[in-house]
Amino acid sequence: AGGGGGPPVPAAPGRAQVFTTVVDTFLEKLAAAGSYQRFANCYRCFYKLQPEMTRSIYDQFISQLQSSIKEEIQEVKDEGNLEVLFNSLDKIVEEAKNQEEPAWRPSGIPEEDVRSAMVPYLLKHRSYLRKVLKEKEEENRKVAESVLAGRDRIAELQQLIQARKHAWQ
Amino acid sequence: MSVDPMAYEAQFFGFTPQTCMLRIYIAFQDYLFEMMLVVESVILKKLDGFPGCKISPFQIRKSTEKFLLFMKEHFDKLFSKMEEVLLQLVLNIPKNVLLPEDKVHEQYPYSKEQFQALQDEIHQLQKQYRAEASAGQALRAELEEQKAVRAELEKILQWFDGLENICREHGTGNFKESFAFLTRNSKKLQDVLKDVEEKSKKIKKHDQLL
Repeated sequence: AGGGGGPPVPAAPGRAQVFTTVVDTFLEKLAAAGSYQRFANCYRCFYKLQPEMTRSIYDQFISQLQSSIKEEIQEVKDEGNLEVLFNSLDKIVEEAKNQEEPAWRPSGIPEEDVRSAMVPYLLKHRSYLRKVLKEKEEENRKVAESVLAGRDRIAELQQLIQARKHAWQ
Repeated sequence: MSVDPMAYEAQFFGFTPQTCMLRIYIAFQDYLFEMMLVVESVILKKLDGFPGCKISPFQIRKSTEKFLLFMKEHFDKLFSKMEEVLLQLVLNIPKNVLLPEDKVHEQYPYSKEQFQALQDEIHQLQKQYRAEASAGQALRAELEEQKAVRAELEKILQWFDGLENICREHGTGNFKESFAFLTRNSKKLQDVLKDVEEKSKKIKKHDQLL
């Protein structure tokens, strides 16, 4: 096939469309190769005997073959949910069209690949820890203030008691 | 030439493209053979209705084989071309495309060291938090103790104040002074007693020596 350039190229057909077209083309060409002439040629003796029958048998053969093949393709599509997958893949490819660099691929080493999958959780965990640590520190600061105030108060009470004691001696 | 296992495509589709193609090939081929057999059996049946004809089943079989061989050749060629197109254009994921489920690898390409550093930071934060938590517990424990101590001290102070109120109520404003006088004197008495004891001890010793 030729390259692009010149007049604007219409949007490329989706994968589902290409799939259907390619199968249809296959069937067309197969039917063209296995033409009636070829068929009649191979079954010459019978053709001479019954030309109309030969024609009708051939027609049925080709049509039956084509419909079986189309059915099989439909089954494959249904089983694999291919229509949906093709459309979704088309979208994904379209979104990546500006990416020139080759994308990440699984390295085959699970330990390496799982790292990036864990990072978002670790980051969340880290920011959670930072938050609760700050809160705890603030809480402790307030409690420490109360403790110091408490100590002062106790010292004060002790002094008052000493003073009373002296007054009674 | 290495064969592309198309593992990423398999991840997306749930099957390997090559497997899919193989399945289709075998199915198509089966249909072709099946149809040919049907054709042959139909022709043979029709021939039964012509008892006079000279065509043998053997000839029919030969015809069938000829046609089938021809079809198979074209079938294989055409299928091969179809397979190529499907594997390249339909059942493939271009090299620059990342599946959405793998987005994290693009967003967080952490190296081993970076990952380790992140884990270390988390451990550190956990340690710090535990330290703060136990410090908090200790502080609150002291606060409880202080409450008890303060209560005791306040009780004592109250008792003193109570004493003073009693004095005031009974008009003996000098009770405090006389009580103080009493404690001083009893202390003096104790001192004098001690003195006398020591002195008598000395005298006894003196007597013994004499």
